[in-house]
Amino acid sequence: MKLALALLFAATAFAQEGHPLVGSWHGSWGTTPTQQTDATFVLKWDGVNITGMINPGFDVIKIQKATLDAPTWTVHLEGDTKDAAGKTVHIVIEGKIENVTNVHRRIVGTWTQGTVKAPLKMTHDD
Amino acid sequence: MRLRTLLGGAMLAVSMLCGVAVLAQDTPGPSAGTPGPGKGKGAKGKAKAPSQPAPRNKDGRVSLGPGAAGTGFWGGGGSIIGGAGNLALEAVPFQPWARVLYDARRTNQGQEDDPHVRCMPPGGPRGFQTPNGFEFLEQPELKRIYVVFGGGPRSWRVIYMDGRKLPANDEDRVPTYLGYSTGHWEGDTLVVESEGYNEKFWMHRGGLPHTDALHLTEKFSRPDFDTLKYEVTINDPKAYTRPWTGSFTVPWTYTNWDGTPGGEIQEYFCQDYERDVQLFDK
Repeated sequence: MKLALALLFAATAFAQEGHPLVGSWHGSWGTTPTQQTDATFVLKWDGVNITGMINPGFDVIKIQKATLDAPTWTVHLEGDTKDAAGKTVHIVIEGKIENVTNVHRRIVGTWTQGTVKAPLKMTHDD
Repeated sequence: MRLRTLLGGAMLAVSMLCGVAVLAQDTPGPSAGTPGPGKGKGAKGKAKAPSQPAPRNKDGRVSLGPGAAGTGFWGGGGSIIGGAGNLALEAVPFQPWARVLYDARRTNQGQEDDPHVRCMPPGGPRGFQTPNGFEFLEQPELKRIYVVFGGGPRSWRVIYMDGRKLPANDEDRVPTYLGYSTGHWEGDTLVVESEGYNEKFWMHRGGLPHTDALHLTEKFSRPDFDTLKYEVTINDPKAYTRPWTGSFTVPWTYTNWDGTPGGEIQEYFCQDYERDVQLFDK
């Protein structure tokens, strides 16, 4: 399983100069600078739809809705995760791509999980 | 007067500095159009002599190489957008994100992010726009044509001429900068189909976007000795709403890139001569 995940990352973690969302992203979200939760996005583009996942692995969150507004580079992602009690919690990610021409472009915005809304920063991988 | 001289000197220095910055990977300017054996426009503005016919191989087909002269190579070409016979920028069938990204890349800040500045290989049309030139090496006994690029990381591309099919577009195909190319001759025109591109480069100077779905149909013809016509149809449904075609011509170059006699692609490695190294840490 770990090998499969490693191969997955190897296949996706390279410079992407095509659709700005495509590829892997790493970063974190949290309410304070010291209380940060790591996050990983792996996103794809089929010409019509953006698909992908958040935090690939045992706690993977399948992205249910994803949009990109090109003129403003505004990103919107949604998915469901489970809390410690196993209850489904909805996640909404809203942000904006900064420095879109650069391979290390960033998504800066918010991560809303249930009632918690916190700043999010993600950087596109090589 | 002294102030004017100082200002003039300062402006010259600034313009030279800007020139270096803009050229980036560009080595000394192309000498296409300099006087060759009776061809090209002279540096002093002499009338351009008519080009000689394109050279032909022993089978009678046009050769894309130097012919009997044995020297010379193709310089850098123009753009597939705008100009005679090409779509205007507004008519290029971009997907919305691709158009906005292209506009962002064409700004000064965007140009600093061009992978070619970081010595990445130039795939697609970009390879034929690159300073330092290129040449075709035909190897009929191997049923292959090599395209050797003098600029960038000094890469080369293989065009298989043995009738093989393009590999299936599946998860097992490793995408590459220069793609996988098969070709055939239609009369005097070399027609090349290519797929399998990665997304790690800009396929056209200025930053035309593409995706891993890119399929190129390239046509190379030589209407006269001094002119290579390059036509490319871009089929990338993930970045463009329909296939579209553009073309440019490439001049034959009789001298070395520094203008000295020779007509050979001189040794140049982007990694060694990199002049934008300060951009690597961005």
